[in-house]
Amino acid sequence: MGFEKFGRFGYVSQTKIIPLLSYLEKGQIPATRCKSCGRTYFPPRVDCPDDRHSAIEWVVLDGRSSLVTFTKVFFAPPAFQPETPYLLGLAEFSNGLRVFAPISPSVDEKQLKPGTELTLKVAKGSPDNLFYWLE
Amino acid sequence: LGRIAIIGVGHSKFGKRNDASLRELAFEAYSAALDDADMDSSKIDGSVVCSATHYDKQRSPAGVVAEYLGLNPQPTFNIEAACASSAVGLRTAWALVSSKLHDVMAVVGVQKMTELSNEEIQELMGRAGDVMWESPFGTTMPAYYAMYATAHMAKYGTTEEQMALVPVKNRKYGSKNPNAMFQKSITVEEVLKSRPVSAPLKLFDCCANADGAACLIITNAEEARKLTDRPVWVAGLGLASSPMSLAGRKGPMTSFEVTKNAARSAYQMARISPNDVDVAEVHDSFSITEILNYEDLGFARPGFGTRLLEKGETELGGKIPVNIDGGLISKGHPVGATGASQLFALTKQLRGEVGSTQVDGAKIGLAQNIGGIGMYAAVTILKA
Repeated sequence: MGFEKFGRFGYVSQTKIIPLLSYLEKGQIPATRCKSCGRTYFPPRVDCPDDRHSAIEWVVLDGRSSLVTFTKVFFAPPAFQPETPYLLGLAEFSNGLRVFAPISPSVDEKQLKPGTELTLKVAKGSPDNLFYWLE
Repeated sequence: LGRIAIIGVGHSKFGKRNDASLRELAFEAYSAALDDADMDSSKIDGSVVCSATHYDKQRSPAGVVAEYLGLNPQPTFNIEAACASSAVGLRTAWALVSSKLHDVMAVVGVQKMTELSNEEIQELMGRAGDVMWESPFGTTMPAYYAMYATAHMAKYGTTEEQMALVPVKNRKYGSKNPNAMFQKSITVEEVLKSRPVSAPLKLFDCCANADGAACLIITNAEEARKLTDRPVWVAGLGLASSPMSLAGRKGPMTSFEVTKNAARSAYQMARISPNDVDVAEVHDSFSITEILNYEDLGFARPGFGTRLLEKGETELGGKIPVNIDGGLISKGHPVGATGASQLFALTKQLRGEVGSTQVDGAKIGLAQNIGGIGMYAAVTILKA
């Protein structure tokens, strides 16, 4: 299985970042760190443009984050129409990196505002997709 | 660097043009631009065709457009920067004419969107963002801009009623533009009652997909003096990029850094400040976008964009009239044509040819064109 397994509906199948999926299977949210300069990347990536070094190590994040902004989608692309309406959010981890992710339907929408504390957790989709969302 | 002038402009009717193909739309705008310049095709020594080609059935449309316009064997190629394609096309042609590689060029912005099925359009819209990290969650073009709206509302107390003032203003002027897709005024209540698209944005906060074309004929100062007595000069060109992923952007998401960077370059090149602008065309893909643009271009302080609307400062007769041709919200948004459409409107304003919606004494015009979800922005300053 390739990277199309990532997300609720994956578009891209081929990438060097495939190991992400095995972390998600273990319930972990991983970032990558450049072995040369130590810069951390989320979403994870294998190439560091700062020093053009491509040796990375994986580091697991605790997922704690603060909501930057969000929206509720009513009009969706075809693959997502059965799910409408749904929430999408942008959140910032304590290390300053940001994540774009769905917001779990278990979250009370009325409580959401910029600054709301949420946690990024692994979620499972169909048929056997893996992703993360904000809870 | 020499001065570069726009010496002819043309514009097709925008909208659901099921009477015309891509090449025929391009011809309407090109032919109108030659008429406007009072010249024939013989002096055009190259064409820059601007289109977000993923919408076109025709692959590599510059090939067929140049053929249909009668512009073979002169050089032609396609420029794509999503919704900012034809502003980037002008920048490209500016460089080619400045370098003397070309003397007179046609910048043709064209898009044929409405022959795609709803399913095809929605599928394309779903891939407007970062296709590895964001599209797999069901992103849409409105969703990205809605997230800026949410942040602006939270930080500055901006309301949906205030945002509705943008489509109300722009549709009012659109009703006076025969090229516009929508020519009926709307009310704040109608905007607020329209169906939700991506909260807080509703249907009438959003521009519509459309078919259409706009064309600019440009040349150097020497040729311009021979060919026209009413040149409009390209005084400033700014273009910048931003991370395409939302997660890659910094700050509270209440402004577009990409617009600020493009504006800085354009103001510097034109040696003007925001206060000097007499008339502006800004990228109102969504109501919130126009408000952010006021602030990012320096027309208002951060958080005060809505004040300009409430005080009528961006209306005809106000301090800085904006989108007096109706904007994308009235004209429709044939992606590749929009940048050239803005420059068409400014050129007409600076020549004093607009009639009932003329901004009196306009000498300096500014166009701001955002590409896609904000990964590109172009700011172009024209002088009479």
